[in-house]
This record gives sequence, C-alpha cells and structure tokens, in this order.
Amino acid sequence: MRRLASWLPEWASPWAAAGFVVVLVALYALPLVVVLDPYTHGILTQTFMFVAAALAWNWLGGYVGQISFGHAAMFGVGGFVTARLLLSTDLPFFAAWVVGGLVAGVYGLLWGHPTLRLRGPYFAIATIGVGEATRLVATFWSSFTGGSSGISLPIPSGDFKQALYWYALYFMAAVVLLSYYLRKSRIGLGLLAIKGDVDAAGDVGVSATFYQDVVLVLSGIVVGISGGFYASFFSFIEPSDMFGFERSISLVLMGVIGGIGTILGAALGAVVYVILQENLIASYPDLYLGLYGLLLVAVILFEPLGLSGLLMRGARLVGYRPGAGVAAGGIGGAAATEATGGAPEEEPTLEEARP
Amino acid sequence: MEEVTRLTVSSLLLAGLYAVMAYGLGLIYGVLRVVNLAHAGMIMGGAYLTWVLHGRLGIDPYLSIPVVMGAFFVFGVVLYKGLVRFLPRGAAGGGQSLLLLFGVWLLMRNAAYLLFSGNDQAVRTGYSTQGLRLLGVSVSVNRVAVFVIALIALGALHFFLTRTYLGKAIRAVAQNPDSCLLVGIDVERVYALTFGIGSALGGLAGLLLSTIFAFNPSSGAVELLKSFVVVVLGGLGSVVGIALGALVLAFAESFSILVLPSFLTAAVGFVLLVIVLVLRPGGLFGQRVLG
Repeated sequence: MRRLASWLPEWASPWAAAGFVVVLVALYALPLVVVLDPYTHGILTQTFMFVAAALAWNWLGGYVGQISFGHAAMFGVGGFVTARLLLSTDLPFFAAWVVGGLVAGVYGLLWGHPTLRLRGPYFAIATIGVGEATRLVATFWSSFTGGSSGISLPIPSGDFKQALYWYALYFMAAVVLLSYYLRKSRIGLGLLAIKGDVDAAGDVGVSATFYQDVVLVLSGIVVGISGGFYASFFSFIEPSDMFGFERSISLVLMGVIGGIGTILGAALGAVVYVILQENLIASYPDLYLGLYGLLLVAVILFEPLGLSGLLMRGARLVGYRPGAGVAAGGIGGAAATEATGGAPEEEPTLEEARP
Repeated sequence: MEEVTRLTVSSLLLAGLYAVMAYGLGLIYGVLRVVNLAHAGMIMGGAYLTWVLHGRLGIDPYLSIPVVMGAFFVFGVVLYKGLVRFLPRGAAGGGQSLLLLFGVWLLMRNAAYLLFSGNDQAVRTGYSTQGLRLLGVSVSVNRVAVFVIALIALGALHFFLTRTYLGKAIRAVAQNPDSCLLVGIDVERVYALTFGIGSALGGLAGLLLSTIFAFNPSSGAVELLKSFVVVVLGGLGSVVGIALGALVLAFAESFSILVLPSFLTAAVGFVLLVIVLVLRPGGLFGQRVLG
C-alpha cells in the first residue's frame, strides 16, 4: 500500500484509490463472468450514466453550493447535438458525444457566467428560468429538435448495446476521478472556501467568478455527454423529455438523496434513483413527483447529508471517525454543523461596526 | 399606433397581477430570508381552489377571494409551524429551506394532479367574454377587475405594513429579529404570520390568474420566475418598488411581441433578469437584495 501510495498525488488516499480500482475491475468483468439478461444490463448501463451526471451536478450543487434546477438544459443540448451529428455526419458515436458535451459546456458558460454571480437561492431560481426558457426554445425549434415528435437515431448493429455498458463504465470512472480531483486538490479547497464564504474566499485570492465558471463548464460538458449517451442508448429523444423540468429535478434529487457534496453520496443517489424509477414509479406513475417531494422533505428535515450521512452515522457507531474532508459536504457551508431553528443572523460587517 | 396603445393598456393591467404575485414571494424573503419555492404551488393551488368553488358551488371567483386567501393563510401558517420553523434561516440555511420548500411544491403538484388530472382548466363566468372600451381599445372585463383587485390588495398591504402595530412588528423583525426579542415582539409569531400572509398573496395571485389564463398542475413555475424577476427589478423595499418592477416586466413582455415570435415571450423575463443582473446587480432602483 505504501509503495503504491508514492505514485499518487499527496492529496489522494491510497485506500480510496484501491477501492476505486477494485470496484471498477469488478464492474468491468461482471457481464463477462455472469450472463446478464438484457434488462439488468440496460439498467446497469443507465445507472453508470446517471452516476456521472449526478456527480457533475454535485460539483456545482455540492462543492460550490450553487443548486441548479436547470441542468436539463445542458443534458438536452448534449443529446440533440449528438443526435444531429450522428444523423448527418459520419462521426463515430463517441466523438459525437464529446462534441455534444463541449457544445453543452459552452452553452452552460453562456448562461452561467452572468447568473453565477448570484448566490444560493437567487441562483437556484434563475436556473429554473434557464431551464424553462431553453425548453421552450427547443420545443418550438422543430427543424433542429423535431418539435414534440422528437427525432429517432439510426440503430447500430446488434453488439452496440452490449458495448455501451463498457463505454458508460469508462465514462463514469473518468467522472469519478475528476470528482475526486475537484474535491481533494487545491481547486477543491478553493471551491470549499467559496461555498463557506464568497467574500472571505475572495480576500485570500480565490476568484469566485473563475472557479465557478470552470466548474460549470466541466459540469455542463459531463451532463451534455450524458445526454448524448442517453440519446444513443434509447435511439429516440424528444425535447419535453430531454429538456423537461423533471430531468432537472432528477439530478437535484440524486444529489440530495445521496448526500450533497460527497462523491459516494451522488453515486448512491443515482443508484437509488434508478431503482425507484424502475420499480416504484413504473407501478405508480401518478405518484412519482409526490414521492420525490416527500423524500426531499424527509432528507432535509432528518438527515441533510442524505444516504452518505446515514452511512457516516453507521460508521461512527462502529468507532470510525471520518476525516474533516468527508464531513465537508452538506448544503450550505456551515449549515450542517449549525444549530437549527435560530433567528436569521446578520453579522455586522467591518464597515458597519466601525464607529 | 393603435397597437401601441393596446399593448400599453394590456401591460398596465398585467402589471397589477405581477405585483401581487411578487409581493408574496418578496415579503417572505424580506422577513424570513427564506425563498419560498412553494410559492409556485400556492399560485397553482389558488387557481384550483377558485375553480372548485366556482365549478362545484357556483361561487363567483371574485366573491371567493376571502375564502381562498383565508385557506392559503392557514396553509402558510401550518407550513411554517410544521416544517420551515425547524430549519436554519439566513445565509447559512438558505439551501436547506429552498430544497425543503421545493419538496413541498412537488407534493402540491402531485396532489393537484391526483385530484384534478393533468388537463388544462379555466374558470369561465358569464362575463368572461365581455369587454369594455378603455383609452380607445377594448379590453376584457376580467383583466380590468384583476387590476383593480390587485391595486386594492397592494394598497391594503401597504396600509397594514406602515400603519398597524402588527405590520410595524413585521418590518421591525425584517430589520433585526434579535432587537425585536428584546423589546417584547413575539418573533416566532411574526414569522408564522408573515409566511401566512405571503402564502395568502400567492393564493390570491392564483385566483386572479385563473380568471384570465388556463392552468394545470405544473402551472406556477413560470409565475414563480416572474415573481422573482419583479423582486430583483424592484427590490424588497416598498410596494412602490415592487409595482415599478412589475410594470417593467409587463411592458417588456408585451412589447416583445412586436419583435419576437410569441412562444419566446416566456423567455423575456429571464433575459431581462440576466441583463439587470449584469448591468445593475443591485436592482433597478438601488434597493439591494442580492448577496
């Protein structure tokens, strides 16, 4: 372990690296060792994709504390750009995903640069506007998106669905590594500082504008690639599904249910989301919004760190003390540790305090 | 020229509705520092309650105002006492209350969907199609009624906040809750009351909306965004600021029809928001509400 650790950057934990490699190898070998029925195979593929998207949402929502209700915009842009490229050019599909992702990232920067100067709730509401405006434009721009009837993609040869499993796995692995890097490196500390207190972060030389723009572009690229992947996986996309408010909500839910601001949390959240979606929602399609609403309310009231918070409680029971980095999740910077129910605090600024 | 007059009149009338919508959101934020995403649900719920009262019991929409406002006042107080009270407020807890109230909104949407299905509904009365001449252009009676009621509501609210003991207490709590505790104001009660009043305004906005537009369970998202735009434009300082913000939004939306395809009017509010945030982050009239 020690020798291996010397390979890694100093901020990386050898145990996390080992766990990552073990899980990755196990998932890689799974369809080779066990015969998976097409349904399970497809569900796993989708789960990998949603884990990647949820992690990307979490960079903005969890690391920087800017909750976005508009990520469907990037998901849809990525999906439709990919679909159009696959229909009209000879690009290989993975290249189309990347181009779709890049376009989505640029689109994210376009609306994100002005809106990211807003903090917290203001940013969140602005993103609702972004999502709705994008959805409207996409629905009416039918020469590009096919309008309400959507567009179908050419279905490649039979092995394609099988291959998508591994592509999704590689994609997820790359996003997990990037998440770990964004959390642990110098950039991660900068993001944490911005989340805690924007002004103080600015005072010590962390440029909130630059950092947030970078995170949003990266997040947009990954969510855009997820959208392109989704288009390839289902071979049919339509604007109301790709750009819908429900799509944005689903990313918020994955992040919050799993545990906002943590890597394991976002991944767990995506897994739980897919399980719920496939089992409960399919049987009770009328109840899904309410169920998600209930889950949100319950998580916020009882365990703001979501599933990863529950795991940490379990870990404490058996005597494990998580390090400061693990406990740095949570919704607002200090919110997780602060006593609840207090009156709004208005700390006098230096200016006001002076006589 | 006639087109311009027509658009002017219609945006003026629309502004009243926008102001009522925005005041509900702005009041709660100004006092509790909590962004009430469930405001969208209140608007949608107010529209449905009006529709039920009119369709099942035959009560005229404008006569059911006290019932709708009362119902949503109680709902708001219960929501505060039952859920919002337990969360940290202010900058530290903004995200938590935001997500919690978002969950409440989802629950409300689902409830409306189960009760009334997802179809578009509208409140149709005998005078829905009647019009009258105003400044040489004909406008529907409903739009004028909505405008007048909105003005009355805003006036009453202004009177309440500036002239009554309770209203002054609300404004005092908005400025400094700790000092209010010291001088014997029951801050918790003021918070509950504020949440109730904000919700009642949301319900009223829904009622007014239902007489003009069709609605369904997912209505409210666009209205929430518009309310927010108005609050950013006008600031939280006064009824006048909110009214001016509402006017700017209504005029921008109405006149955009001259240059933009109609489906894009819904995006105008958002574009306006971004422009204001880039050029004047403090709001149009200097009342700083951000950061």
